[in-house]
Amino acid sequence: MISDYIETLVDALSFDRSLSGRVRQEVEDHLWEAVAADPRAGGPKAEQRAIANFGDPHAIAAQFAVVSLAKQTRRVSAAIILVIAGVFIAMKARVAWYAMMQCTIGEDIRAVSGIVSLVDRYSFWLSVIIGIIGWAYVTGRRIPAAFYTTDRKQISRFLLLCIAATGALVVSVISDGVLTALRLPGTELSPEFLIPVFSMAIEIACAGVLFFQIHSVTQRAMSTRILLKT
Amino acid sequence: MLKGHLDLIVLAALSAGPAHGYAVIEEIRRKSGHAFDLPEGTIYPALHRLEQAGLLVSRWVTAESGRRRRVYALTRRGERALAERRAVWHQFCAAIGGLLAGARPRGRPA
Repeated sequence: MISDYIETLVDALSFDRSLSGRVRQEVEDHLWEAVAADPRAGGPKAEQRAIANFGDPHAIAAQFAVVSLAKQTRRVSAAIILVIAGVFIAMKARVAWYAMMQCTIGEDIRAVSGIVSLVDRYSFWLSVIIGIIGWAYVTGRRIPAAFYTTDRKQISRFLLLCIAATGALVVSVISDGVLTALRLPGTELSPEFLIPVFSMAIEIACAGVLFFQIHSVTQRAMSTRILLKT
Repeated sequence: MLKGHLDLIVLAALSAGPAHGYAVIEEIRRKSGHAFDLPEGTIYPALHRLEQAGLLVSRWVTAESGRRRRVYALTRRGERALAERRAVWHQFCAAIGGLLAGARPRGRPA
């Protein structure tokens, strides 16, 4: 009986594996302790009472989901800052490498390169500004006990900021890719070009991490809404 | 109304020392004279939320039964938060007490 109850609760929290694992152990310990402490002897009746006292598994799962969502939004807000910093370091390392290797752009593509550099710079700093706004927006807020309309609106606003920051960062990474491609052709692939290619790989991976994080927040927000409706 | 004060209740229950979820509930029952009848499961999301807010820390221990259990303790920030909320609560009680003590039956307007 207790195991069925725990499975129901844990299934409802399947969107957060670490949370569901922790909840399983905590609730299992709680319910068996309640059964052992039941003055009217053990058995199925005591298990039934322990479960009844614990409450509706869906209602409790919904409360856990709200905490999990708040945790994930904070994690994503920090991830945005770290990812942007990662892209910045990769970008600067590549530029330093070009300077060290005295790798210059040909005259024929200088105009195109100038425009792409401009797009790159503005989109990158736009992502920095939006990312910082998103981080400040989430960090300064209290973790809610419930998921009211205002909390839902806050999550939606935060997601919009995340998407805007990621969009700007993606434009910057694509621009970096174009700039790298403009420098590389005509040169034979040699170990010295591993650094630009590697730094580009880091930038693409950083953008991928951000996509994954935003996706996980969206998933958790949806799961929380579903749990609150049931 | 009770839900609005759940954080204060949990922090107060843990002020006696570290405890796991079941012991927190027992402490709340004991200290409140069995006045609060919340679903027991409600305590756990509150414990997780307070930990997330940095007011509690937790660690796994192995109970005598052999089962693993999570033990929660107040952090310095948690102690400060409890002191602040306690002060607010006392102010609130004093204000309501004053209002109720000063309340007079309404007479007919002159």
